[in-house]
This record gives sequence, structure tokens and C-alpha cells, in this order.
Amino acid sequence: MNHEEQIILYAANQLDEQARADFEKHLTDCADCQADLLLWRSVADEINASDSLVPAPAQLADSALEVIHQPNKLARALRSTGQLLRMQMLIIHNELWVGSAALMVIFLAMALLVERVEVLYFFAPMIAAGTVTLIYGSENDPAAELTFATPISPWKVLLARLTLVSAYNVLLAGCATLALLLIIPPQALGEFVLGWLAPMTFLSALALMLSLWIGTSNALFIAYLLWSAQYASLISFGEWFAFASPWLETYRQFWKNPAMLFIFGFALIVFALWSSGRDQVQWRRSIAM
Amino acid sequence: MQTADLAIHWNSQETQPAMTQPTDDLDLIHRMQAGDDDAVRDLYAQYGHRLYAYALRLTDDPATAEDVTQNTLVTAWRTANKFRGDGRLIAWLLGIVHHTAMKAIRSTPQFLDEAEETIPENLPTPEEQAQVKEEKRWVRDGLQSLSPEHRAVLELIFYQGLSLNEAADVLKCPIGTVKSRLSYARQHLRGVLSRTEENWR
Repeated sequence: MNHEEQIILYAANQLDEQARADFEKHLTDCADCQADLLLWRSVADEINASDSLVPAPAQLADSALEVIHQPNKLARALRSTGQLLRMQMLIIHNELWVGSAALMVIFLAMALLVERVEVLYFFAPMIAAGTVTLIYGSENDPAAELTFATPISPWKVLLARLTLVSAYNVLLAGCATLALLLIIPPQALGEFVLGWLAPMTFLSALALMLSLWIGTSNALFIAYLLWSAQYASLISFGEWFAFASPWLETYRQFWKNPAMLFIFGFALIVFALWSSGRDQVQWRRSIAM
Repeated sequence: MQTADLAIHWNSQETQPAMTQPTDDLDLIHRMQAGDDDAVRDLYAQYGHRLYAYALRLTDDPATAEDVTQNTLVTAWRTANKFRGDGRLIAWLLGIVHHTAMKAIRSTPQFLDEAEETIPENLPTPEEQAQVKEEKRWVRDGLQSLSPEHRAVLELIFYQGLSLNEAADVLKCPIGTVKSRLSYARQHLRGVLSRTEENWR
């Protein structure tokens, strides 16, 4: 160990007795070391003096324990998601739950009566699309201004409502499907569910996105028109429209392609979530004026 | 001043903490591993002051130092299983303080400016000098103008009573780096001292 280090340990009182005695002997005739010792002693004095004056904050152990016993991030996220869903459940119109259930019962009865599952294929996506156009925006939400004023971002609110309503729609259609087992063989169940689930996803997503941009009634009109168009028979309009038939066939195939419907459906949902802040921006602008 | 005086004066100071692992420390760790809340309170009662002092020395900001100390207790609790008992508990805890404080310093841009090593220009006026003990003033200015890394070494060795090896463990650097930082601090402080002395003349 050289003197430069030794002197530091000496000043810090970290040398054992023998080393200290030896170093003190050296110190008597080394001016450099004496100067260094003065320097390090001043440093040690200053550090020790200022540190012993530092008051350690009280209650730090308790606040640390609070952090220690905090539920972890996942649990907190789940809890706040649950709160958000419960809150949004209260805001969605009651008529929406009752109305769509009533419609579903009517169409189910119709399907059973005529023994045609196509009735449900046709109406289940329409009911779903109808409900999602009613969940967001100042037109439908009496508390829209309140929604905009809360710290929860609009896309989260929209996603929460969409989740609730979609889950409800799938549940309704699922129950109807079970009832339809009276007229369809159980083996066809999977195909049947996919048959309404995919168009329901796409049509709902389309209707939701349109409702955010052009309002509920316009969105409903366009969505229903597009949906019904696949059942149109152009030939019945006369020879004149016959040239469009291949296009119509492609269009029909699109509605029967679950992969495409899901992909485009989710893309539309993402776009809808992205545009959910538009109303809020306008609202902010209106109160700023 | 005579050399003998220096030695006697210094050695009359209170002795530094013992270098051995007290049984209390192992007990604290075992209790934390077992999930005993009171172990955190006892740990804080025992070492809180030293941990906070080190955090404050590094961050130079009481609020940040408080956060750092609190996070250190939380980390110590969560990683108590990793303490093998091959070093002193205080050195392990100071290592956590160091890591946490450095993270806080890096994430707060204004600390970087403070860490720039500049000699303070606003040296005291002669009137102030008469009031403040000059000896203390220059060393305080000198310490403050060192980077947190250099201050850390001095704090660990002089106040916390760590050996060079322990300091290297806390700083997660080779012992050679500890030595070179000490050497640099010596040069720097000497520079501040001589400039201050010129100013006095």
C-alpha cells in the first residue's frame, strides 16, 4: 500500500494499531503526507459534521412498508378495469339491454317457427351493430361531457363500453344458438357460431366506426344497407344490372370469409378507438371559446 | 501544528463502526426473509440515518434522497434472500442506495448539470469569510463541486467507515477505480484549497 492510500485509511481511522504506529513514524518527517493529512482530516471533519446533522426523515419505514404491501401492478390494473366496466355499465342505456334481448327472442321464435337458421344469421349481426352505434358520443351519452371531463381517456371508455355490449351481444346470440339446437344437429354448432360471429364482429365494428364519424342514424342506415346488399338479387332488377353480378358474388364471398371479417373488423375497431377522442377535442374547443 | 498533535487530535475522535458482522444484522435479515414488518422498522432505526445521509450526499436533494431511502428499504425487503452474509449488511444496503440514487440522478436531467465539475465562482466576500470558518468553507465547496461518484467514495470511506474493498463493492467497480477516484478527489480538493488561499491574500 502506498502512502497516498495509507494516509486516507489513517485519516479514516481504518488502520490497525501496528500500521498506525508505523505510519505516524513516517509522518514526522514527510511534509507531503502532513499536508495531505490536513486535507483529508478537513474532508473527514466536514463529511462527518454535515452527515451527523442530517435528520433522517421519520416514518420512512412505514411508508416503505406501505409500498411493500401494495398489491402488484396486475392486481391494480385488474381492479381499475373492473371499476371502469362497472361504471360504464351504469351509463349505458337500460333500453339497450332490454331491447336487444327482446329482438333476439322475436327473431329466435321466428327462426324456430320457420325452421330456418338463416333468420338468426341475418338478424344477430344487425342487432349487435344496432347496439354498438348507441354506446358513444354526445348524441347517445347524456353524460358525454362528464365522460370527457374525467381523467380516463376516451378510447378506454369506448373500449370498456364496446367490451360490455359485445359480450352481451355474443351472449344473446350464443343463447339463441343453443335454442336452435332444436333444429340443427350438434355437429354443425361450431360452423354455425362462426357463421354469425364473424359477420357480427365486422358489422358491429363498421357501425361503431361510422357512428363516431357520421352519427348514429347515418351509421345504422349504411351498415344495414351494406349488410342487406349481399342478399340482393341484381337479376331481378333486369338484364341491365347483370354485368355487376360477378362483383356481387365477390361481395357475398367476403361476408362468408371469417378470417377476412375478423381482420377487417379488428382494424375498424382500432380505428374507432383512435377516433374516439374527436368529440372530446370538439368539446374542449367549445368550452374554450 | 505538529504531526503528533495531528495524530492525537484525530485519534481522539469517535471510533468508526466495527468491521465484523454483528449478530443483530443476521437477525434482521432473517426476520425480513420471514416477512416480519417490524424488521423493516428496526432496520431503519439502526441504519436509516446512514442510508439517508448517503442518499443525500449523492443526490443533494432531500426529497429525492427520501425516495431513494424508501426504495432502498423496499428493495432490501424484496431481495433479502439474496443477502448471503459474506459482507457487512451496511455495505449491502449502501450498495442498494447507490444503485437507486444513480438511477434517480440519471433520470433527472438537472442533476447532470450539478454533477459537472466546476470550481464555484461565488467565493465568499471578506466579510463572509470572517463569519464562516474558512477551513470549512473551502472543503464544503470542494466537495460540492465533485461529481456524485467522487463524493460517493469519500462518503463511504470517511463517514460510513467502509474499507476500500467494500467501497468497490458498493460502487460496483474495481478497487483500482476507487483508488483513482480518491486520487482525483485529492487533486481536485488541493486545487480548490490553493485557489481559496490565493483569494484570501
